[in-house]
Amino acid sequence: MSKLALDINNLEASVGAIEILKGVDLEVPFGEVHAIMGPNGSGKSTLCHVLTGRSDYTVSGEALLDGEPLLDKAVDARSRMGLMQAFQYPVEVPGVALATLMRECGEERGWDSDEIDGRIAEAGKRYDMDRFLDRSVNNDLSGGEKKRSEVFQMAVLRPKVAVLDEIDSGLDIDAVREVAEGIERMRGPEVGVLMITHYSRILRYVTPDRIHVMIGGRIVESGGPELSARLEEEGYEGIRERLGIEVPAEGVAEKRPADFFTETPFDL
Amino acid sequence: MRPLDHTTVELAAETAPSWLADLRQNGFEYFEKLSMPTGAEEEWRYVDLDFDIAAFGVPDVAGVPITGDSDLSALTDYAGIARLVDGFVVDVFCNTPGVTLANLAGHVDDDSLLEQSLGRAIKPDIDIFAAAHQAFATDGLVLHVGRGVALDRPIVVDMQVTQADTIAFPHLSVVMDSNSEASVIVVMRSPDGQRNVVVPQLELSVGDGARLNLVTSQHWGDGTTAIAHQRMVLGRDSTGRLGEVGLGAKLGRLDLTVDLIGNGSSSELVGLYFGDRQQIFDYRVVVNHHGKNTRSDVFLKGAVEDEAESVFSGLLKIWPDATRTSTFETNRNLVLSDGAKAHSVPNLEILCDDVVCGHGSTVGPLEEEHMYYLMSRGLSRERAERVLIRGFFDEMIQRLPVSGLEEAVRAAVTAKFVRAQSEGRV
Repeated sequence: MSKLALDINNLEASVGAIEILKGVDLEVPFGEVHAIMGPNGSGKSTLCHVLTGRSDYTVSGEALLDGEPLLDKAVDARSRMGLMQAFQYPVEVPGVALATLMRECGEERGWDSDEIDGRIAEAGKRYDMDRFLDRSVNNDLSGGEKKRSEVFQMAVLRPKVAVLDEIDSGLDIDAVREVAEGIERMRGPEVGVLMITHYSRILRYVTPDRIHVMIGGRIVESGGPELSARLEEEGYEGIRERLGIEVPAEGVAEKRPADFFTETPFDL
Repeated sequence: MRPLDHTTVELAAETAPSWLADLRQNGFEYFEKLSMPTGAEEEWRYVDLDFDIAAFGVPDVAGVPITGDSDLSALTDYAGIARLVDGFVVDVFCNTPGVTLANLAGHVDDDSLLEQSLGRAIKPDIDIFAAAHQAFATDGLVLHVGRGVALDRPIVVDMQVTQADTIAFPHLSVVMDSNSEASVIVVMRSPDGQRNVVVPQLELSVGDGARLNLVTSQHWGDGTTAIAHQRMVLGRDSTGRLGEVGLGAKLGRLDLTVDLIGNGSSSELVGLYFGDRQQIFDYRVVVNHHGKNTRSDVFLKGAVEDEAESVFSGLLKIWPDATRTSTFETNRNLVLSDGAKAHSVPNLEILCDDVVCGHGSTVGPLEEEHMYYLMSRGLSRERAERVLIRGFFDEMIQRLPVSGLEEAVRAAVTAKFVRAQSEGRV
């Protein structure tokens, strides 16, 4: 096993002529939780999707998962290597029960059925998901329940790299705390966690080992948990000024802006 | 085999009571008047009928029944069972008090009920096939559930066609007296690899306050052209729930009409169909709201792969006095191969205010967003597709109004898709 769960070198990604990631370097060791923070349109969600393997992007550079190259693999192969993304907007999959999905995942990985059932039972209890197991994936779930389902799936599949895209967006304060506790419980020597947020609220409940600030498709500053307080103070605008970064031109925004205010702020 | 001409009608008339002889004669008159659809007619535009009905003959006796595994294997707990082979009732068993499950040939003399029900719901002027059915049907099955009788287990009907180059007219009439309750499962099958035509009719009469649940599981063989007519008439405060599973046949056409006559009646139609190779499914659904306060819901899902084709044409019609009606129809289609086609034509005709209605229809491939999600969990493309196909149909399977066929239907749709996958056809 490599010391690094995830090792990203000079990662670039574009959609058509628009460059979104302009050379990202990032190391997430096993056992650590890292947070990436940044304003809307800075490329955070793109980074997640490029790692997961969404086909919309032209990608160059390198990403290693536990020392193995990731970017030349298909979406499903990356997952089986140990990468898993918790989506910002988990899609509803009608007719496919959550337990069925987890069992299919287990079969695809060659686990025997006792093992997968054991994992489902354990994680179901831990994340209070039992009553959702026989329901269609994400169907009629509140925002908070959807995120909890994503974290539950991670607990079943036990990825080496867990990527959490805006895991706190659209959640009320109780749901944020609940999801944050889930992330803390995920922490362990066999996983590196990368959480994306543009919002420091969740960092009251999760203490990352490192915080990285992403602006304009690059990581512009990294530091310990104390960086969060400084960000609160300065704002992204302040960091831009301090580091002399120009405000991005129009049209560079991500396809689906991760704007907290476009979502329901509270679970109704 | 008997030819489709007056000699067959006259032969049957010799032993039939006069009302039945008249019925047959009436059907025959329409049969002579009507011609084979050419494909130019709107209601036949998607269907290529590559045969002449006159080239087929009616079986004079039942052939050797098909045995072996089928959906029926799972159905061991029933209140009654009947087997129709080539249009003849060959087996019938039901000893529930208040319930008659009988063949036409044996009970026609003393059962005035038959006179009231047989051939009353489905008119011979619909098309040449309906006319032929009324003229040439040799036998039929009648299920009569007496007033207030509630069956706790289903009636099972094994409807088979066995003889090549024949045209068979299997018939089921269900008469539910007021406040009765029954569930019926009809399984339709014929051997693969032989050419034949079958024109089944299901006439369903649901009395005041009665409840009928009926599921039809269509597994005709790959050489069978099936042109079915089905009509359900609902009395006051009655409920009729229909499930239609379409998997077999070369051409599987269903002309289904529901008439909500009584105030407060409600109906539901849940259906699924899955076509592969050159199969054609053609669903023609009409729901007439006549009574006040009536409700209906039509929900069909289908998939087509290879060069298969499907048609859903649904008309919800609200007649002038049918106030406070609510009616919905939904049709969702998956097109899994470039050569496959699905046509979806939902229609509303509203002649009355104070109604709630809606319709929706979709035609398209598996959703890429769903594929991406499942593959991001590590499922291969092939497995993700299978999971989505199963999920797509499962929603319908779970809603079938009579239980007992779920596993068989699930297995059949999965097998169909897996076969296409393994042969690289999707």
